[in-house]
Amino acid sequence: MTPSPWLDVLDDTIRACGVHARTDLVDRLRTRRAELGRAGVRVLVLGGPGQGKSQLINGLVNAPVCAVGDDVTTAVPAIVQHSPAPSGAIVTDDGPRRGIESPGRVPVAVESVTARANRHAGAIRAEVGLPRKLLEPGLALIDSPPVGSPVAQHTHRTLAALAQADAVLLVTDATSELSAAELDLLGRVVRLCPTVVVVLTKIDLAPGWREIAERTRERLVRDGLPATVLPVSASLRLAAARTGDAVLNEESGYAPLVRYLHQDLMGHVEVLRRRSVAALVHLTVEQLATPLREQLTELRSAGTDELTMRWRAAGRRLEELQRESTRWQTVLSDEVADLIADLDFDLRDRTRRIAREADEYFDVADPARDWPEFEQWLRDNLEAVAKTNSGWLLDRFEWIARKIATYVAPRGSEGLPEALLAGAPRDHIGDLRMPAVERFGVGQKLFVGMRGSYSGLLMFGLATTLAGMPLINPISLGAGAAFGAKSVFEERGNRLKRRQAAAKTATHRHVDDFFLTYGKESKDTVRLIHRELRDRCTAVAHELRTEITDTAKRIKQVIDAETAERGARAREVARRIEELNLLYRRGHALAGAAEPRGLTA
Amino acid sequence: MTLPEQAWSLLNRALEAYVDSPRAANWLRGQLARFTEPVRLAVVGPRGSGKSTLVNALAGETVAGAGGGRYHLPAGRSQPELVLLDTPPYHADPAAVERMCLDADAVLQLTAHPHSADLSLLRALQDHPIAGVAPVNALVVLSRADELGGGRVDAIVSARQVARRHRRGNVLSSLCQDVVPVAALAACAGRTLTEAEFDLLAGLVAADKAELDALLLSADRFAADPERARLLVRFGLFGVRLAITLVRRGADTRPALAAQLLQRSGFTDLRDAISGYFTDRREVLKARSALIGLEVVLRREPRPAAAPLVAELEQVLAGAHEFAELRVLAALRTGRARLPDELREEALRLVGAYGTDAAERLGDTGVPPRQLAMSALGLWQEYAENPVLGAAERQAAAVVVRSCAALALTTG
Repeated sequence: MTPSPWLDVLDDTIRACGVHARTDLVDRLRTRRAELGRAGVRVLVLGGPGQGKSQLINGLVNAPVCAVGDDVTTAVPAIVQHSPAPSGAIVTDDGPRRGIESPGRVPVAVESVTARANRHAGAIRAEVGLPRKLLEPGLALIDSPPVGSPVAQHTHRTLAALAQADAVLLVTDATSELSAAELDLLGRVVRLCPTVVVVLTKIDLAPGWREIAERTRERLVRDGLPATVLPVSASLRLAAARTGDAVLNEESGYAPLVRYLHQDLMGHVEVLRRRSVAALVHLTVEQLATPLREQLTELRSAGTDELTMRWRAAGRRLEELQRESTRWQTVLSDEVADLIADLDFDLRDRTRRIAREADEYFDVADPARDWPEFEQWLRDNLEAVAKTNSGWLLDRFEWIARKIATYVAPRGSEGLPEALLAGAPRDHIGDLRMPAVERFGVGQKLFVGMRGSYSGLLMFGLATTLAGMPLINPISLGAGAAFGAKSVFEERGNRLKRRQAAAKTATHRHVDDFFLTYGKESKDTVRLIHRELRDRCTAVAHELRTEITDTAKRIKQVIDAETAERGARAREVARRIEELNLLYRRGHALAGAAEPRGLTA
Repeated sequence: MTLPEQAWSLLNRALEAYVDSPRAANWLRGQLARFTEPVRLAVVGPRGSGKSTLVNALAGETVAGAGGGRYHLPAGRSQPELVLLDTPPYHADPAAVERMCLDADAVLQLTAHPHSADLSLLRALQDHPIAGVAPVNALVVLSRADELGGGRVDAIVSARQVARRHRRGNVLSSLCQDVVPVAALAACAGRTLTEAEFDLLAGLVAADKAELDALLLSADRFAADPERARLLVRFGLFGVRLAITLVRRGADTRPALAAQLLQRSGFTDLRDAISGYFTDRREVLKARSALIGLEVVLRREPRPAAAPLVAELEQVLAGAHEFAELRVLAALRTGRARLPDELREEALRLVGAYGTDAAERLGDTGVPPRQLAMSALGLWQEYAENPVLGAAERQAAAVVVRSCAALALTTG
């Protein structure tokens, strides 16, 4: 048998802790290694309140060294070990006053040491030395405060002591079966310290202890907890010691317990060490591997979800944009064609109405007199038409631009071409020339009157000559005057008509001119804006596409890089876990090797 | 109007308001009927805590079987009329046990060890708007006091010390009135001791002392003989040891031994506690149960006609001096509030520990009762404001002041 193979495993475990940067574990394992290196076996007596832990130890050493009472008595652990002469000491930790490295150690008479330690506020443990054959090979019995006592510190102290124990006696009294809390405690203890015996105390009190012991054994087997059950009675043992009654001692059930401690534990120290180390290695590996395993699952399962999602979204967006680009171009040209037709109709309609109104006006009015006023009116009206029409144009374009913008850039109308709409047709009315208007002056009137009166005079003069009157006679003169007046009157009417017709023609021509020039310019503007809008939209769409493509590319790069890194890390973690598994198997091999009789459950 | 009268009137008016709802009316009629019945006492605890043993001890005969039941105890010489409810183990069916406890007026919570006491049932019971006002209906019983003391003859003495420490603790004192240790098996044996058993014990004592002591060392030894084994089953090792010690010390007749056994097993204390906290205050506990029952109806079936009752119920609860008196009674008895002996006795008397009549509360001294009440009122008002006393004591004194004021009014 090679000397201490467990030391190698333990050292490897400590190294593994170092590799995983768990200095806390390294420290703990180093301490434990030092403890394991020492000779001797530490047996922790552990259990709930009032189960008879202290009395069990008193029975083992046949002396009332551990204080017993009916309520929670033990407050600090007491270590009972061999010494040539009875001795006792309280170990105190007075904190910063004395420094951590030098805990105080006060010698106290052995009879009262535990009682005083339990009451001592600063005590961390009591130490008892007794000259006993049982303890001589290096056995140390540790009495512990109750687990599950109302004072939380008790449980804490006991569990701290548990880490240093080579074997555990779990104490429960025979008046009732193992409680759920005790079973839970046993489960925890087995993981920390695999060598456990359940001691059933107070069998003198319980008439049905055999049944309880049997049920406890069954329960342990059922729960897969490897522990022997030893029923004992401390009172019988102490009574036997007083009277030297061998039969009573046999009844107390201590003989198997002493045999167990003396032969099975002290006789196989090496196996105990191996088991402790195996448990320690298992626990440590468990502690190291759990976060690693979590990391591994995390690395393998999750990760790039969010990025991948964004990448896919970018791709979808790009497709969408491409689809939209043809669509918005069609929509734009359709809309512009509509707009041109609408504008044209509107303009025509409005100018027609003006022309009609002008006609009606000149049916009555005399251009010679009313022209300036009319000119002003016409100019105002045409201007209004131009304004309305161009305003409408701009409005429609804005609307079109907005509509298109939603196609081009569906996520917000960035780059809406507001600026495009600045240029609009302006001032196409031109000068309206006054139509050539014949004036009907006095001379003309005279001439026309003369012409009329002449023909009247002649007509009536000739007619009256037949009646023997001279050509110039009052009648003919009268008729001449009448005819003259009539001619003048008619001439005036005719001239007005002619003037009005001329004015109407001039107006029509002017309005037509306006329609032509303004219409042309308006159409030009529409085309201009159309083109600019298209260009701008194309630019925006392009920009957007480029941007999205870039983003997608970047995301893809990140994803690729991360996946690669993740793979590397996962491999690394898996390798570490494999290393730990190896360590675990070595620990397991330690525990499994050479299981001696009596130590098995 | 006293609390029971108020509760009675509230119940009757609720019945009028709910006359058209058969379920509510039935429930309320049940509450009214329950009002005049004897106190119902539920015995609860985990498996193996000695519920049935204790029920048998209280009944004075073997009545309880497994799985619970209801037993009516007629009034006896040392015991008022009582209805006992034996319950199944709490963890087997918590809902059923809780229902039984709500059906009971008072609860004995059994526990084997004070550390491992499972108080979840008590917490559940006190977690109720009315029950929470004052936890006056529960006692915690350390039912295996003999084991606490390691089965020694003086086990009950050390169990009493353990109980004393726990009854003053915050956790238990907020859930129950008192913590009482009792060795249930020995108590049961004492209550049902037969002549044959006494003869057997006397015979054992008459035999060789050393031999008997050797037998008493362990249960195994004592049970070697079938006759003794039967005795062991009935008494437990503690009971046997106690009985033999008592016979040795001169309990030479069956009644004498029985009386001593009851005394030494803690049963007498338990019975006193039950009468002091529960049966003597039957009306207060009944009123409490009735108010809880009424609250259930008002909460489950709210209706406009019952709205004034809700307000009045709150008012009654806020002014329920009887609950405060019971809490002070427990505080003085358990030492949660500590007064000098003479004052303590007077306070106990005034809050009704020795009888709730005005005469019993004031004591019979020949002085006119009103004058007595007035002077007590003045005295206790001083105590209530005395800075030398602790907070708990001043609080107790304030409750006594209110009792005195009520006495002064009624004796008017």
